[in-house]
Amino acid sequence: MKNILVIGAVAAGTKAASKARRESMDVNVTVLTRDEYISYAGCGLPYYIGDVIKSKDELLVKTPEAFKKEFDIDVLTHHEAIDILPEAKKVVAKDLKTDKIKEFKYDKLILATGASPFVPPIKGVELNNIFTLRTVSEAIKIKQLINTGKVKNAVVVGGGFIGLEVAENLTERGIKTAVVELLDHVLPMYDKEMALLVQNELMEHGVDVITGEAVEAFEGDSDGNVKYAITPSKKIPADMVIMSVGVRPNTELAQKAGIELGDTRAIKVNHNMETNIEDIYAVGDCAENINLITGKPAWFPMGSTSNKTGRIAAINLFAENAERDELRGVLGTNVVKVFNMNAAKTGLTEREAVKEGFDVETVIVPADDRAHYYPGYKKIVTKLIADRKSHRVLGAQIVGEGVVDKPIDIIAAAITFGARVDDLAKLDLAYAPPFSSAMSSTITTANVWLNKVADKVKGISPIEAHEKLSDKNVMFIDIRAEEEYMVKTIPGAVNIPKGRLKKELKDTPKDREIILICNVGKNAYLAYLTLKHMGFEKAAILEGGINAYPYELQ
Amino acid sequence: MPEKHINCRGMQCPGPIVTLFKEIKTLEPGDIITIEVTDFGFKKDINAWCKKTGNELLSLEEKDNVITAKIKKT
Repeated sequence: MKNILVIGAVAAGTKAASKARRESMDVNVTVLTRDEYISYAGCGLPYYIGDVIKSKDELLVKTPEAFKKEFDIDVLTHHEAIDILPEAKKVVAKDLKTDKIKEFKYDKLILATGASPFVPPIKGVELNNIFTLRTVSEAIKIKQLINTGKVKNAVVVGGGFIGLEVAENLTERGIKTAVVELLDHVLPMYDKEMALLVQNELMEHGVDVITGEAVEAFEGDSDGNVKYAITPSKKIPADMVIMSVGVRPNTELAQKAGIELGDTRAIKVNHNMETNIEDIYAVGDCAENINLITGKPAWFPMGSTSNKTGRIAAINLFAENAERDELRGVLGTNVVKVFNMNAAKTGLTEREAVKEGFDVETVIVPADDRAHYYPGYKKIVTKLIADRKSHRVLGAQIVGEGVVDKPIDIIAAAITFGARVDDLAKLDLAYAPPFSSAMSSTITTANVWLNKVADKVKGISPIEAHEKLSDKNVMFIDIRAEEEYMVKTIPGAVNIPKGRLKKELKDTPKDREIILICNVGKNAYLAYLTLKHMGFEKAAILEGGINAYPYELQ
Repeated sequence: MPEKHINCRGMQCPGPIVTLFKEIKTLEPGDIITIEVTDFGFKKDINAWCKKTGNELLSLEEKDNVITAKIKKT
């Protein structure tokens, strides 16, 4: 019987092993892992710490015993693969419990070695109570420490998905939490103005957000427990630190065996998940991806992609050429919850699209996630990124208290099928008041984009508007009702409700630069048309209005 | 002390705040007004509004997707 050997037993490894069994009953399937826990829900770890998930057992999808019983798959835990011998088709592994060296023969080998948290060499990083959060074992230690009640202050280093989920969960447990992010905003993979909306949500819930700074050192007490995180401007109390600056693919084993790495330093694979060495596949977080839009190498260590690649490799173990399964590329679609706010993204950011040489046009459009008369509707803000010439959809980000995963999935599907913004605007989407609006947020956003590209309206982004605040030549006009203006507006804006624009601006020079502000941009669009009709040459609307403006209001 | 109840469910911005403004003008200091709103943006707005107008926000509750604010005119 042929031997299928898998190294790694979280998402991609166990997926590959169980799919291999479903493809063939005539093979031996063996899985090696150095960890104690297998097949666990790694993405659930922050919620385990937050006690949303009470017991670690809820995170464990399947035990080694279950794999044996249900699939006749041998899962060997505490077995660390230390060498691959491609010529001899063998893997050398060490039994970590007995220190015994064992050899495993394979006909086909699948590498699912995953990724590990990157820990920068910060002074004091070896102090007690500084953790990374990647495995169940780490999560258990963190939760035990929190359960002692001694953690009053915590610092999270890195404002990516894990960092923000941890910050939320620590805060919910009554721990005063600070997030330190090197970039000038949290969620580094998002465009700034969208990420700032999430950042505001963190701060409103009492999280200290320190951006544009790195932790330079940790200071401990005489017992060697961490007490402070030091940044250039702050000394932050910390009874516990979570390092979440990112992960790196585990490629050491592959490299040693002569397996080629890609530009992203993850294992290079073709669409069939094959490495450069025959009969060796790489799947999950250790493998490189292709960006579906650019066709260039990318690396998205995501559970959703891991499972797919595991399945593809398993099918290809047995497939004839014509039947081989493949993954043409991924978009890096993601979604995250931060307190009451949800954020989702697919495809390229504006920054990435510009860098790739596209003729980029973007819009920012707030909308309700369902009918405004159906209780429970919430706001979401959509940013759409597309190419001016071809109208090809390149990416989107959606942030808000409402449903964001549905519209981002619609756009992810559209990008996958090569849609233009025009196609997006005409999609026939499900509608009834409890679910959506007659003109869904996606369709509205596509229409605004088309209006902008057709020069029907000139918009300026929240970031540009913010930069112009100090420019005395620019006139900010809040065209909403006086009552709304009083509650909050952009600093320095004057209030001219839209009905009075004609009268009050009749003596204003027509070359005056004017930025029109309303709540979402729709009334400002009407006002813009009025001003254009009056002859104003340099009028523009604030895209996304007050709703999407992430800076200080007064 | 007279209490007034207004229903702004289904109203989008600026509906609730503008309505509240109008209604509160008809009240005497010490009177209480309760407003029901389904626009979630109202939660932040009402706090800012009370601070700026000096009226007192007695309570702000969210139940079954309806926000109920109780305000005392000062």
